[in-house]
Amino acid sequence: MLLVGAGVLFFLSPLVLGRYMVFILNLFAVYALVSIGLNLVMGYTGQISAGHAGFLAIGAYFTAIVGTKMGWMPALLILPLAGLFTGLIGFLLGIPILRLKGFYIAMATLAFGVVVGEIILQWSGLTHGDDGFHVPRAALAGFVFNSDKRLFYLVQPITLGMVLVARNIVRRRVGRAFIAIRQSEIASQTMGIHLAKYKTSAFAVSAFYTGIAGGLFAFVITHISPDSFNLGVSIDFIAMIVIGGMGSILGSIIGAVILTGLQQLLTGLPEVQMLIFGVALILFMIFMPRGISGMLFDLREKLGKSGNGEGKGKEVNGTFPDGMKRG
Amino acid sequence: MLLQVILSGMATGCIYSLMALGLALIYKSTEHVNFAQGDMSMISGFIAFTFFQLLRFPLVPSLLIALLFSVGLGLLMERLLVRPAITAPHFNIFIITLGASIVMQSLAGLLWSYDQFPFPTLFPNRTISMGTVRVNTVNLGIMGVTALLMLFLYLFFKYTKVGTAMRAVSQSQNAALLMGINVKRSFALTWAISGLISGTAALLIAPVIFLSTRMGLVVINGFAAAILGGWGSIPGAVFGGIGLGILENVAPYYFPSQIRNIIPFAVLVIVLVIKPTGMMGEERRKRV
Repeated sequence: MLLVGAGVLFFLSPLVLGRYMVFILNLFAVYALVSIGLNLVMGYTGQISAGHAGFLAIGAYFTAIVGTKMGWMPALLILPLAGLFTGLIGFLLGIPILRLKGFYIAMATLAFGVVVGEIILQWSGLTHGDDGFHVPRAALAGFVFNSDKRLFYLVQPITLGMVLVARNIVRRRVGRAFIAIRQSEIASQTMGIHLAKYKTSAFAVSAFYTGIAGGLFAFVITHISPDSFNLGVSIDFIAMIVIGGMGSILGSIIGAVILTGLQQLLTGLPEVQMLIFGVALILFMIFMPRGISGMLFDLREKLGKSGNGEGKGKEVNGTFPDGMKRG
Repeated sequence: MLLQVILSGMATGCIYSLMALGLALIYKSTEHVNFAQGDMSMISGFIAFTFFQLLRFPLVPSLLIALLFSVGLGLLMERLLVRPAITAPHFNIFIITLGASIVMQSLAGLLWSYDQFPFPTLFPNRTISMGTVRVNTVNLGIMGVTALLMLFLYLFFKYTKVGTAMRAVSQSQNAALLMGINVKRSFALTWAISGLISGTAALLIAPVIFLSTRMGLVVINGFAAAILGGWGSIPGAVFGGIGLGILENVAPYYFPSQIRNIIPFAVLVIVLVIKPTGMMGEERRKRV
């Protein structure tokens, strides 16, 4: 009941909030999707990705280019296509990565992210290179999402739906396989988990999420350039899930909201913002490797013991990587 | 002409070798990956700059102070960031050093701004002709200092007691501990040496590419070099670095010149896809 009430309030909020606040809420949603995507591959499956800005860029440019060249296409068709296209790239990237372990995967994905940025920069005939790309407005059956408040009703329902889907993915067979792979690849293989299948699908699903986020990102910020997708952006995404909580959907959202909020608050002071991100990364990794959602989970456990006992052991995804990737 | 390009490639390659060497030493001792290696370098460069340009110290003492500082920075990293999390998975340390890299970049940005600064060199800037090839003395200096440092490290690890103890630790921490070797001190020393190498790299390359907060990104070339040579192999790090430097300088002669920027990444991707163990790396099998 409470949840439904909060939901209704949330969806009515653009009526009272200012334009900028609604824009921020849209950004929160976009980054929450990226963060969930990254968490699926990194927090759940245990494969470090330092190149997710590359996926975001592919989704964004796909949306912008297809939206321009095929203006008749409704937003609700372009976005899934962007997701599928990015997902396919993620799947293809997943194949060579199958042979690699731990830190090598970080390096390969890092290189992937940079190469994507460089390709976008150089292929200026298609992407307008350094000048950036003006994204056409999202449209659906004659309705044009030409303001932040209107976009809110495109971005938020999609995000909500995808959050629910992600929650189902991680609670079911596939998600459990991901977690098993993170704990021990060899043990999970012995249990009959098809490593190649699940690892490539982790990359594909992760890229799908990030691709759709990229499409929404393009609509929300309306002007994209290769600069919006550099290595630093990929590292910000890692900070989001480390601070929010690895291996947790709720944590992904918390991390995305906190870091995006900080970024918006400190737009004039990029050094201070970087400093806070860096210090937070270090402190969380040393003292709270399970992130904020891990802390919340512990808190609930404690309260649950003295109180009504609700939610005990309910959340599989709260349990963090004890054996996460040695070497 | 080609020979000349190769020669100047070798000079840049020396810097990559030093980066890769610093990474490989730490990896060999504790299997940790230090993403902040390049930024440690950058900070040491700025320290030398501060003493020389702002406090008006003579050049040689400024450089020595910077080298001392780089050793201290290595020790500090080990003590503050790595040791508290020594039992944590290696993944966590990687993220911690990533955080350290961001912190150093932003601090340097706050302290010294994001501008580029010219940096003095110890070597006279002249060009010597050797037959048909003309060599810049700065490049010669880079190669000479790198060779000296490597020789020094080789002798240290091969013939001194401490060096031998450190090699023992990298083979088996438990056995070394049982033999009475101070393993903790050995880890700290590894970071100190790695810091010294990063500082040396900064002082060698800053005069050529200017000093800036973005200099830390050279760590990625270091990773590419180390992986090209074979991750975790010391000779691999040295040859991988030189190989990468030559590739970077030669490629623009055959391909469009923009290719230079993506060479390290292309090398990373190609090596990881075709032969992840690199030229000299050995395959490690994990026992259950």
